[in-house]
Amino acid sequence: MGKLKAVYYINQFYAGIGGEEKADIGLMTFDEKKGPAIGIERFWQGEMEIVKVISCGDNFINNEDKFKSILPKIKKILKKVNPDVFIAGPAFNAGRYGVACAKLCDYVKRELGIESVTSMYYENPAVKMYVKNNYIVESAETSRGMKKVLPILSNLSLKLAKKENIGPARLEGYLPTGYRYNEYHDKTGAKRTVEILLKKLNNENYKTEVPLRGLEKVSPSKPFKDIENAKVALITTGGLVPKGNPDKLKQAFSVTYGKYNIGNLDSIKKDEYESIHGGYDTTIVNQDPNRLVPLDELRNLEKEGKIREIHGKFFTTCGIGTNVENSKQIGRKIVKDLEKENVDIAILTST
Amino acid sequence: MKLKRQYFDVKDVVWDSKLEYKDEVLYLNKEEILKKIRPLMKNVTNVDLEIVKPGEDARIIHVLDTIQPMVKIEGSGKQYSGFFSHPKTIGEGITNVLRGFSIMESAPLPWDDGSASSGLLYPRDAIIDMTGPIKGFTPFSETINLVITYELVDGKSSEEYDNDIRLCGLKISEILAKLTVKNTPNEEETFSIDEINPDLPNVVLVWQCQNQGVYSNTYLYGHSIDNLVPTLLHPNEMLDGCIVSGNYVWPAFKVPTYLHVNHPILLELYKQHGKTINFKGVIFSRSHNPTNWHKERSANFCVKISKYLDADGLIMAWEGGGNAAVDGMLTIQQAENIGIKTSTITFEFGGKDGTEGVLLVDDVAEADAVISGGSIEKTYELPNVKRVIGGKYLRLNKESGGYFPPSNKSITFDTTTQFYCSGNQSGHSKLFGESY
Repeated sequence: MGKLKAVYYINQFYAGIGGEEKADIGLMTFDEKKGPAIGIERFWQGEMEIVKVISCGDNFINNEDKFKSILPKIKKILKKVNPDVFIAGPAFNAGRYGVACAKLCDYVKRELGIESVTSMYYENPAVKMYVKNNYIVESAETSRGMKKVLPILSNLSLKLAKKENIGPARLEGYLPTGYRYNEYHDKTGAKRTVEILLKKLNNENYKTEVPLRGLEKVSPSKPFKDIENAKVALITTGGLVPKGNPDKLKQAFSVTYGKYNIGNLDSIKKDEYESIHGGYDTTIVNQDPNRLVPLDELRNLEKEGKIREIHGKFFTTCGIGTNVENSKQIGRKIVKDLEKENVDIAILTST
Repeated sequence: MKLKRQYFDVKDVVWDSKLEYKDEVLYLNKEEILKKIRPLMKNVTNVDLEIVKPGEDARIIHVLDTIQPMVKIEGSGKQYSGFFSHPKTIGEGITNVLRGFSIMESAPLPWDDGSASSGLLYPRDAIIDMTGPIKGFTPFSETINLVITYELVDGKSSEEYDNDIRLCGLKISEILAKLTVKNTPNEEETFSIDEINPDLPNVVLVWQCQNQGVYSNTYLYGHSIDNLVPTLLHPNEMLDGCIVSGNYVWPAFKVPTYLHVNHPILLELYKQHGKTINFKGVIFSRSHNPTNWHKERSANFCVKISKYLDADGLIMAWEGGGNAAVDGMLTIQQAENIGIKTSTITFEFGGKDGTEGVLLVDDVAEADAVISGGSIEKTYELPNVKRVIGGKYLRLNKESGGYFPPSNKSITFDTTTQFYCSGNQSGHSKLFGESY
């Protein structure tokens, strides 16, 4: 049986063409090995060889049109060579190089059915974009980690080429893809719970088994001092809409929001509004919508001169099962509206 | 406080005309045992006993609680103090333990809405398979189990059924453990945290248990823990049975008395005591606190006590699902905020392949060392079995009108919530969510 074949992708820098000044250079192919492709082969001990090295400038390949324009060429090369695996990087924490490696791997695997693997630092922006369906071996932040990562990358790429079963992330060295299955560990949960605490106490590296969600911290804006001069808007995630829900807002898993006139109202009438929220008992709100969107009390403050004015529309959506991305999008759109109308303060009532 | 546990291995359990423990075999006379507990059967009837062994092609259903048979032979108080006794502080002296053997209670508690079974808090069918794909979820596929099955006298209250079932179990556990008294133990183990090494970090375990009323309850020295604010226990008190379970609601998440008494994390901490840590004690708290105010107070008390104990590290573990997770996560947050390092273990979600929705029902950014107890959102097909203990039909899905399939037939579940102890809340099992 002949040797297994690999095709290797590197950027213009590792191909020895040049640095930033050459980042616009287009697709190049080499029959000789370059960069990490030189170092990796020895780990395969003759079982696999790199038959082709391809390279692009980081700017060039990150331009979507230019990327698309070279795909037919790459496809042609790969069809001809018919490699057992496609390897790219390591890109460490280089953003453009990382994205290039990951999207090429993704293309090669998805469109051409060829196993692929790349490598980079876990914070490289490409990881979030491509990790779910691609093997990305975890590397250090900078190229100083090359020596350490090459054996891991070589091992996984050889396994992929041989079509062997790929083990879990923690054993193979790739970044978790998000896929999780029930298995049996060699130690009990109790033992691991104590061990990870010991690592923390001894200031050793530790890795949580259930990944952190990476919740973003939202820093509050500065307190608004001149309240008497403020224009105040009302926002709710409690699903208050005009009766009949004319804009067909969703009762859950919201993707958008509504805004409704309150400019000439002293309070919100119960016969005209209702809550369509799918996740709480809306009885009280339907009896008196002002308990969700407190227009009546705010109007009093306006009359007393405690605030300057109330924004003429209130904003509403249903905060239930809404994913973070959609929530952010809804939030950003509302904020744009508020800015345009020079609103100073927003009161957000949830349920 | 020093406790010596004397372990008496149980290699086999057989029916016999005598009641005896000899050469690692328990000889059981069913009639004699039942006669001894008959005065306790006021609201239960037709009580029967069955022996189930590891490797058997068998399924146990309607499992309520499982007890570690043991008896105190020296020192203050009785095992499971507070039941059949005043709540004398336990954890000192000598206790004989039948190792590799459990007493298990099984009964179809009523589902009528007039009882404690209203809403979501009803006794759900807890299933054990001694072999097959879910065997590793429970510690009891590896123990010999004496299953007590009960029928219920009509028209009695939930409290009355609950009480009789528990007292019968605890009494049988005592009767059988007493048989060891004149024997020589296979092994002895002494538990003490008296000696402290000032060079080692101090660690506490926060153990938080469910309490939402009858059928979803935990007992401390014989009394329900409603209104409990976090309190300090010596780990030996738990080893001697100061905590007894009365929790029958979620099979995956309930922690049997057997695991309170052989708490896997507590035992691990004991192993490390004097070597890598000083084990400073167990902070016992109630989960399912009803309001955020109560939750905050509970978390604050747990952390306050940890501070008094000069804790550097805290392990947070809990019984129960989402509500309890909020209590646990708040405690982690408060602890980390004052520099006490934490770790925890919990079941996860994630759907069939781990990518659906969020993994944890609640989490805080401070919880950065979370051990996985396995995902409950995985599909398992249970095979046909030769023998079923507990009843001819499973009792499932009360909330959608009830579903009662034959208990010996193959059946597929798309979550693990019916499988006894599958939530791995006390870390007994090796099940975990492996990431790919």
